Amino acid sequence: MSLKKSISSLKLPHHKSTAAMAAEKIAPPSEVLLPMCMHSGHDAEPVVAVGDHVLIGQLVAREEGRNSSPVYASISGTVASIEDYTSETGRKTKAIRIVSDGKMEVSPEVKPPEVHDLDSFLAAVRDSGIVGLGGAAFPLWAKLDAIRRGPIKTVLINGAECEPFITSDHRTMVDHSDLIVKGVALLKEYLHSEKFILGIENNKPDAIAEMERVFAGDPSVEVKSLTSVYPQGAKQVLLYNAAGLVVGEGQRLASLGYIIINVTSLAKMAEYIETGMPLVERCITVDGSAVKEPKNLLVPIGTRISCLIDNVGGFSCEPGKVLFGGPMMGHAAYSLDQPVAKATNAILAFNKADSAALESTPCIHCGRCVENCPLGLNPTAYAKALDIDDEEERFAVLEKEKVSMCMECGSCSYVCPARRPLVQNNQKGKSFVRAYKAKLKEKEGGK
Amino acid sequence: MESNLILSSAPHIHTKDTSRRIMLDVIIALLPATVAAVVIFGAKALGIIAACVIAAVVSEAIFDLIVGKKQTVGDLSAVVTGLLLALNLSTNVAIWQCVVGSVFAIVVVKCLFGGLGKNFANPAITGRVFMLLAFSSVAGGANPVIVELTSTATPLELIAQQAENAPSLMELFLGLHGGAIGETCCLALLIGFAYLLVRKVIKWHVPVIFIATVFVCYLIATGDFTYALAEILAGGLFIGAIFMATDYVTSPITLKGKMVFALGCGLVTFVIRYFCAYPEGVSFSILAMNILTPYIEKWTANTPLGGSKNG
Repeated sequence: MSLKKSISSLKLPHHKSTAAMAAEKIAPPSEVLLPMCMHSGHDAEPVVAVGDHVLIGQLVAREEGRNSSPVYASISGTVASIEDYTSETGRKTKAIRIVSDGKMEVSPEVKPPEVHDLDSFLAAVRDSGIVGLGGAAFPLWAKLDAIRRGPIKTVLINGAECEPFITSDHRTMVDHSDLIVKGVALLKEYLHSEKFILGIENNKPDAIAEMERVFAGDPSVEVKSLTSVYPQGAKQVLLYNAAGLVVGEGQRLASLGYIIINVTSLAKMAEYIETGMPLVERCITVDGSAVKEPKNLLVPIGTRISCLIDNVGGFSCEPGKVLFGGPMMGHAAYSLDQPVAKATNAILAFNKADSAALESTPCIHCGRCVENCPLGLNPTAYAKALDIDDEEERFAVLEKEKVSMCMECGSCSYVCPARRPLVQNNQKGKSFVRAYKAKLKEKEGGK
Repeated sequence: MESNLILSSAPHIHTKDTSRRIMLDVIIALLPATVAAVVIFGAKALGIIAACVIAAVVSEAIFDLIVGKKQTVGDLSAVVTGLLLALNLSTNVAIWQCVVGSVFAIVVVKCLFGGLGKNFANPAITGRVFMLLAFSSVAGGANPVIVELTSTATPLELIAQQAENAPSLMELFLGLHGGAIGETCCLALLIGFAYLLVRKVIKWHVPVIFIATVFVCYLIATGDFTYALAEILAGGLFIGAIFMATDYVTSPITLKGKMVFALGCGLVTFVIRYFCAYPEGVSFSILAMNILTPYIEKWTANTPLGGSKNG
């Protein structure tokens, strides 16, 4: 094991100042805005009309199309509007605005689902509205659905939480270990998974201790302490470091009998099966240099950023940049009116100095991007390839250099002393390859 | 307030290192050798250094001005080039020749190719080679001012001639012999190497492989340990291996490639020194390997984790 080549990774400042803070429930927000695109698949479809009165846990938008996920009311109140909304990633969708009646009344629809076999279990997970809560937002049921194509022998539970600042998964492990135990039991019962590896970075000793305590009598669960380096929680990196597994290019993880589940997703799943309360609130870390009192907050989904900021004593100074998620992969918010979504694990606000744009200088070929890429890719090659005018040649070079394998962890951009927009180039390269392939397919189809 | 929020794509944090800081580190790492040059070779060395650095910086500034480019002298790379070139010249050189060499290195070798990062050959080395060809006085071994020496030959020439008055190993290590002003004091160069390693500007592989290759080749060819040791301590091997073969821009990007590059530098240096009439081969070897860099990069590309070999 020790003789194996180790994966390149970064030592980032952790900034986990909220690690010891259990999530505080915020006062009911006056309204919430629920976007229809809080998952990675097709938009959900509203099933309520303006003027309808809704209760917590009541379905307001149903799953529609591929890899979609239903949306539930996170507060009780009146549907005030169904409006156009653009997410922080630029995705255009509809959003349901609910104005609170101040009662936070729970819907009578909320009752534990009947689960007795695989089908009813998967149906329940589908109804729960749970998506990958570490940020990926892929519907959980769709991930578990891989069982229909082959056995899922090993479940990797992702508790790495390698992004700086964020401690919401950390708190799940410390405060809701019972739910994690129940989640594991459910997967054992219905998916017949035999092995569970719980990967946690060693900067969370209390989480590791708690997990070791609750799983002490269970030989099928291995709690794996991992070094605190970025991107330890990325799929390929976690698989390699926690399970010694390499997923080949174009290979599906599930085809190897593995799945990876975020630890909070697992806990929320167990909570739903137990109580029937779908995903309507979650723990969000609010931190950053412009935040007065960093905290973990228990927040109804759809709450606006400004309301979260009010709950941490406001800004300590005028914010320069506000992020959904961590500083390595998070997206910048364009407005404080934007709502937090299902997969929002942190809201980070930085002061002007920390947000200042950096000037890009010429590439000096230092090779740090290559050296620090966890997958051993060559970002400088993509930057050069993007300058090729001939599309066919550009496609050939990008494919040969395997731009599509890039997981956009941002390590290359982080280490670049010339501040080159490397990960952005990779993204451009990836989307070019995708578009070009689609074009080729179309041509073939047309013949 | 919302409209004031800054929008940019991830990552939102960056390392503190910048290109400028890296260049500054190289300059700091060259300071011991610079001081040694002035101590060993006197005021003329100082004049050469000043002339090269000023000429390099001014010519880059004027070039940027003429072509209407954003001023780039702030990145300090011109200072590095000027300083390196100066340390590779002997005190036989005339100041005006230093200026010509510096301007050639900056304008022809770097700026005309598109500036920092775009040149395929190391500017300081190419500048020196240009001067070797243009002015015969560049390479000769001017005597140090702090020791009495009778010959003006460089130690490499003396070793090659198996002369009686060839310097001792200690004299070679401390640099108390003729040669280019910055190349003679191995001790000062090693201090610079240590600094670069500590600052993580370079890795140990290239200098060590380069020097070791030359050493091993000589050991095999001559069977004489002391002779092989004298060969690596004399001439421009240390300064070339530590400061010029490690130039990011003109060497391969992967560590594997860098190691192949260093091995090639060592072999070419040995071949030139041992088989050719010319006693010094470091500059030519690095220049030759600079030209091969794109090919080495092709041969030594990484295989991504989980990536199929020939995708």
